[in-house]
Amino acid sequence: MNGKREILRTKALHKSFGKEEVLKGIDSAFFEGETVAIIGASGGGKSTFLRCLNLLETPEAGEIYFEGEPLMCAKADKASSRSAKEMLRTLFLARETTAKNTGAVRTARQRIGMVFQHFNVFPHLSVIDNITLSPVLEKNIPKAEAEKKAEELLERVGLLEKKNEYPTRLSGGQKQRLAIVRALAMEPDVMLFDEPTSALDPEMVKEVLDVIRDLARSGMTTLIVTHEIGFAREVADRVLFIADGLIYEEGTPEEIFDRPQKEKTRQFLSKVL
Amino acid sequence: MLEDIGKLWARYGPLYMEGLWGTLWMSLLTVLVATVIGTAVALIRNARFRPTRFLMKCYIEVVRGTPILLQLYFFWLFLPKIMPFEVSDTVSIVTALIFNSGAYVAEVVRAGIQAVDHGQTEAGLSLGLGRWHLFSRIIYPQALKNILPALGNEFIMMIKETSLASVFFVSELTTSYKTVQSVTFKSIPSLTIAGVIYFAMTFLLTRLLGILERRMKSNERKA
Repeated sequence: MNGKREILRTKALHKSFGKEEVLKGIDSAFFEGETVAIIGASGGGKSTFLRCLNLLETPEAGEIYFEGEPLMCAKADKASSRSAKEMLRTLFLARETTAKNTGAVRTARQRIGMVFQHFNVFPHLSVIDNITLSPVLEKNIPKAEAEKKAEELLERVGLLEKKNEYPTRLSGGQKQRLAIVRALAMEPDVMLFDEPTSALDPEMVKEVLDVIRDLARSGMTTLIVTHEIGFAREVADRVLFIADGLIYEEGTPEEIFDRPQKEKTRQFLSKVL
Repeated sequence: MLEDIGKLWARYGPLYMEGLWGTLWMSLLTVLVATVIGTAVALIRNARFRPTRFLMKCYIEVVRGTPILLQLYFFWLFLPKIMPFEVSDTVSIVTALIFNSGAYVAEVVRAGIQAVDHGQTEAGLSLGLGRWHLFSRIIYPQALKNILPALGNEFIMMIKETSLASVFFVSELTTSYKTVQSVTFKSIPSLTIAGVIYFAMTFLLTRLLGILERRMKSNERKA
């Protein structure tokens, strides 16, 4: 992988929810064109890690680099580095209720696609408007051009005839395919999938996995948090096993699934395989 | 009794109608202006600047923590004193009603915004939407669907609460009853007429809102 362009890198990423430390210093790097499956038990921090990569969660400490540019750098010793200005800010400004959304973060997010467990399609917009919304508003692409592009993408995932429907009329699998296409319309450099099939009825899992597989094989850099071990083995170039807030073990699918080195990995795999 | 009601209605019908008109325009004006104020208050409460958030919170707590009749008295006494021009009782009372309703609408708007699934915000952010686009295109349109039915209810509430204006003899339906009662001394028949009109109004409006709400929901499905 060393010759490839680096897309994302994290250094010593820490994240806590209240007193519970969910990420305990994650170092990682992801390269152009590779498909990485992130596995691990529920509550182990794998989704949180993924959500930190586009700053939907704000880590307390650590560094994130997107295509070599720092997206976030936070020092661990908060208390001592707090300036008077910052203290005034906390006195007068309430805590941000949504994740940080500064210009630099926004620009990066436009190039980092994300697909959620619960689809999060926009129910008040038609299928095609779901897709064209952000390209038109944020990238100033002419509406007609954005729609043409959207139609091509819908065609690719077999949803073209639904383009004027509203999401309430779509099945779960169709909603998730729409969510994938919506992210792709921004022409991202990397796609993050956060348990994309966990909320689906079993008969709809395949149609979504098929789309993700095609995407991964077409050369899109893909990070996928998943419980679908079979799929991870088939598609991934690399597997990260996250447990207790750390990357516990990583390697090729064969290394992780056939010859896991660590006891915890073995325990986890014996439960899910 | 029925005969009395018939006679009263024949004689004083126009007076009741005048009262009904007063009730309707006061409630409607109150809710319309309160919607503007309530929305602004809700937005300020959701903004990050703490001092203004706190002020808005105080306003809402004061309105919710004191009787509406007391608020009417307060404005009725106070407004003419501080205003450089003549303030009629009607203006004082409507101002007080707006002051009251604005706080309730603010809570309705805030709840409507908060009821929008947080996943919608995350999806918007992940697509790189700026703050303004996120709210104007994703959050507020969906919040509106939660807010509109509640605003209809606020209107119905106001139709009933304007009856308190009769304490100050501002022209509205309950004042009409008081007038008719004091002229004819037929308390129960004259009160019954007012009651029937109130009920007919709120009943019709409730049905109407129900239809609108259902249509709004089915629009989302079809459209």
